[in-house]
Amino acid sequence: MYEVLMFDGGVYRVNELYELVEDIGGFVIQKTQLQVAITVTIAIPSEDRPIIESKTKELGGKLVEVPLAGTEIAVVAPTLGRHHMPHPVCDIAEHLRRYGAITVVMGLARGKGRATAQITADEKAFIEEYDAAVFILGNFADCIMKEKVRLFEDIEIPVIVVCGPDIKTLPNCEAVVCGVGRKAERMRRADEIAKLEETATAVDAAIFKRRKLIDEDPLCVHPAEVKQRVDELEAVKQNLRPSPIVLHLDGLRVKIPYDECKDMLGDIDIFGRKLRDLTTIAPSRLGGSTMIRILTMAQLQTRDKAAQPS
Amino acid sequence: MNISVKGTEDYGNQLYADLFKRILVDLGLANRIEEARIVILPEKPLFLIGVRTRKARTTVRLEDIASVEAKGDHTYLNITNESYAPVLLANLWKRFGRERIEQLSRLEILCHGIKPDQLKNMELDPGQELKKELLDALWRLMPEGFKVHHTLASDTVMTIAATEHVMVEEMISMAKQLQEEMETSTISEDDSVSEEEDEEEEA
Repeated sequence: MYEVLMFDGGVYRVNELYELVEDIGGFVIQKTQLQVAITVTIAIPSEDRPIIESKTKELGGKLVEVPLAGTEIAVVAPTLGRHHMPHPVCDIAEHLRRYGAITVVMGLARGKGRATAQITADEKAFIEEYDAAVFILGNFADCIMKEKVRLFEDIEIPVIVVCGPDIKTLPNCEAVVCGVGRKAERMRRADEIAKLEETATAVDAAIFKRRKLIDEDPLCVHPAEVKQRVDELEAVKQNLRPSPIVLHLDGLRVKIPYDECKDMLGDIDIFGRKLRDLTTIAPSRLGGSTMIRILTMAQLQTRDKAAQPS
Repeated sequence: MNISVKGTEDYGNQLYADLFKRILVDLGLANRIEEARIVILPEKPLFLIGVRTRKARTTVRLEDIASVEAKGDHTYLNITNESYAPVLLANLWKRFGRERIEQLSRLEILCHGIKPDQLKNMELDPGQELKKELLDALWRLMPEGFKVHHTLASDTVMTIAATEHVMVEEMISMAKQLQEEMETSTISEDDSVSEEEDEEEEA
């Protein structure tokens, strides 16, 4: 199983780290350089962590745990109105980014109210493109338990609910974090920061569970490996959107239009095979983006068998 | 200022009391509000709020708060009572447009192409401004999905009942009762959540 870590150090001899990561079969996910300081997010096999630790020590850097690196998480509010934004929605999204996740804040079109709160099939499909979703709900148990639970019914990714009243469990979600109601100011007090930590821990646990599930039938190629190849495309190099490639647990989102780039993406060579053979490439609901879902080993074998002439 | 909240859920009651206090502080209305009573019944659903404000200042004429001087085709205003400056500026903008009103310094305003006669009859009503600001605070507080409103207002008391679907007679009568109570009574002492209780706990 791969472990994602962040190297925080200087640029001096950092190439040695890149080479070592490559030698042990790991990947560099992201590099952020600021003058002579650099942070490098890497994915390495768990058993080789001591080797990376000793190299980091040699280079005078430090290794930081980023358990949510390589994931994209949706933080969903009932609407984008000022009743929910920017606090606590943005506070939670920002805190998850500290754990390495890429977060997207979204508001439902008609999520406000009690009995009138609703979510469309389109919105559900949009949310399902992400690795996990954090739903931020209201202050009244009666409202949440009787009505709002419908919002995250039948969503096929892990859902974490953040709400005000003390509710032990809710159906259709992985975890409930209570004690975060409506806020008119930033969550900066000690008890509020503890709640942010609790939310991040709940998301981390859900992601860990999903990673374990994926490991039972592993992906035929690691998403970071696909990213390295996709990075070389001219269309990606010229892309000005923030994070043009976003890693997911089971694939990646490439922020280039599907219609124009599907053939270019499908033709990418990975270990002697075309990317279109190893993945499903589909348009993303996020405008101008393409979703690449990597097949598991079992799915690949089934597809290969079906393709063989009988 | 006393904020009391009655309702079926303790967490929500406490939170709305704190939230309203925070909103009033943000909007600079904390010392303009005398009392607020909130009733929250999520199962109905009903959100009811009554607010009693302190008496607003009476209507004043422009000549009482600023010296008016003709400068060719223009008029020069020198504000003598600073507390009216924001209201005066907002009124001038509204009446003549921003491009004709130039704020030279904190207390000096030059009105382009406007004769002093056009300004001399101008009156300012700070009470209207207070009502507008109070409405803004209430809009921020009320649950977003409760779009059906019934509003009652007198000089110093404003009551709003908000619900999601149909405003039934019972809700309107509750609003009327709260409006009457707020107009006649002083601060109630009951088992509801209030700012005073919080202060006692802190002490």
